[in-house]
Amino acid sequence: MARRTLLGLLLVLTVVTVTVVPGFTQAKPPVVVALVAAMSGGSALSGEAIKRGLTVAIDEINAKGGVLGGRKIELVIRDEEGNPSKGVTAARDVIEREKAVAVFGGLHSPVGLAMLPVFHELKVPYVGTWAAATNITRNDRKPNFMFRVSANDDIVDHFLAKHVTEALGKKKPGVILENTPWGASNQEGLTKWFAKMNVQPVGIEKFNWNDPDMTPQLLRLKNGGADSIVMVANAPEGAQIVKGRAKIAWNVPTVSHWGISGGRFAELTGDLSESVVFVQTYSFFGKQSDVGERVIGALRAKYGLKGPEDILAPVGTANAYDAMHLVALAIEKSGAADGAKIRDALENLGEHRGLIKTYKRPFTPDEHDALTENDYILVTWKGGRIVPVGK
Amino acid sequence: MIAQLFFSGVALGAMYALVALGYNITYATSQTVNFSQGQSVMVGAVVAYALHVGLGWPFWAALPVTLLALALLGVIVERVAVRPFLRARSIAWLLATIAVGIIGENVAMLLFGKDARAFPSSLAIVPWTILGAGVYPHELLVPLVGLALMAAVELAFRKTLAGKALRAVSFSHDAAGLMGIDVNRTITAAYALSSVLAGVAGILLAPLLNVSATMGTTIGLKAFAVAIIGGIESPRGIVVAGLLRAAHVEGDGGHEARGRLVLDEQVADLGTVPVGEDRLIAPATSIPPCAWRSVTPT
Repeated sequence: MARRTLLGLLLVLTVVTVTVVPGFTQAKPPVVVALVAAMSGGSALSGEAIKRGLTVAIDEINAKGGVLGGRKIELVIRDEEGNPSKGVTAARDVIEREKAVAVFGGLHSPVGLAMLPVFHELKVPYVGTWAAATNITRNDRKPNFMFRVSANDDIVDHFLAKHVTEALGKKKPGVILENTPWGASNQEGLTKWFAKMNVQPVGIEKFNWNDPDMTPQLLRLKNGGADSIVMVANAPEGAQIVKGRAKIAWNVPTVSHWGISGGRFAELTGDLSESVVFVQTYSFFGKQSDVGERVIGALRAKYGLKGPEDILAPVGTANAYDAMHLVALAIEKSGAADGAKIRDALENLGEHRGLIKTYKRPFTPDEHDALTENDYILVTWKGGRIVPVGK
Repeated sequence: MIAQLFFSGVALGAMYALVALGYNITYATSQTVNFSQGQSVMVGAVVAYALHVGLGWPFWAALPVTLLALALLGVIVERVAVRPFLRARSIAWLLATIAVGIIGENVAMLLFGKDARAFPSSLAIVPWTILGAGVYPHELLVPLVGLALMAAVELAFRKTLAGKALRAVSFSHDAAGLMGIDVNRTITAAYALSSVLAGVAGILLAPLLNVSATMGTTIGLKAFAVAIIGGIESPRGIVVAGLLRAAHVEGDGGHEARGRLVLDEQVADLGTVPVGEDRLIAPATSIPPCAWRSVTPT
């Protein structure tokens, strides 16, 4: 009896599916874009933040009728787990099987670099929303399929070095960075820019992920006579550094790359968080443009956030939001869901009022980074909130 | 600088020793090791965080509940991942306990989230200055509690009936059984105790290292290295090795980080295995005896 009921149900379901679903699919086929990012593991927060930024932008675009005369944009997501070879597989998968016409990238630079040949082979543009390694966009490919709406280590390093030497007037910075390719990328940039400013760092110290105690490294910098700290770290290790610095009673200005904003740095360090300034591409705190208000409103409605303090890893969301809109404009401009044409269109977009700024011409054939040093802001924590600091 | 490294090192070292003591207790009673000890460290910290910070319980209320949860975890590990394999005279408990640890870590990630969280302690806010070194009072508390606990365990083994039963079982299962000691139950108790010890280390370390779902892996591995160096059958050797090991790691002071990734360091840790007088792992590994040299500062 039960089996018969089940069979009956199945039959009804089949009929419903067969008759109703074509009604939906008779609409124009969607245009697929993909996100290949770390959705699990220690940097999962960044992937989630990027997904939210993309989703809010896609909802806006689809609500206005989509692209190419009524085609909706559809997002497929693949987890690369921070693993370059998984990223390569995922990039192929989304392009060849899911027919993605543009692929957004996540936090990990090594993954972005590993996927680079795939995008050139399959002729689909990559738009980075986080990973900052300099040579992702500045490669020797012609035409170049790699774009980025995010920071670029080389530019960040110049920004930080300039702040230390000019705004703070410090001549003996101590550098402490994580023992990863990301740390290496910044070691190169910082060394280069400090040298151009005629400043020699007192020391360059390294640490590993999950290291419990960085006081030895800090003591070496302190004993070497450093008058400021430049830090390249993610939230947990950055917290240990700042707490270690307080423990050895060393009060020097601490300037940081943005890795510490990918977790709960303010919670981990308490009041000490207010002693660190760092770089961001956008802040959801303070007075917002109408675009900013709209995005916060959408995040609030869709993800149940109470306010900007709940937007964890905010740069991921902000960068992704603008990146999605730029890609949509390029799809529209190219007139086809075709990777190569979208790539050409990206280089020739007109003015766009985005969240981070109004883009005059987001990308050119020579500049594939949409954000420049002028778009970076220096921020700090005040009572657990990220607030801009005056220049 | 040496004073600074000493204080940080002793705090961490005492905790490595505490976790390593757990390896000793289960190895002594059943010739098995709970390779999810590191995750017990994490569970201790996470459960204490959930009760104390999450639900706002006072610490004195959260502590016994946390310890109870840890004991229960130890019992479950023994029942699920050790006993079935012991009965079959298989060494698959080795992989099974690792598996339990991985599952535990993922469950914690699911329930607790992926971020590191701060565990407040009024003793870890303002550092004291001792001999020119900055020390959080909490860092002094950690080794004190650790050493006191280890002394208490040692004393209990010698003076109490349960402790004597445990030692009898570690001497000979058959003889202990003939004396009316329930060997299975004693092994279960050993697992519960070792899990509790690791969890206490987690609770004590939480204000210093923050709480995260992945905090246990490295601690568990380092503690295992400590257990092997100290001699997995010698609790006092473990205490000494723990303190030395931390002094070494901390004294190494990030030189370890130069050109070496976290994974490499863990491999180096495992490389210390054959050095101990241990016969459990040594034959099973192909790491040459000189591999331990790779842990010394380079």
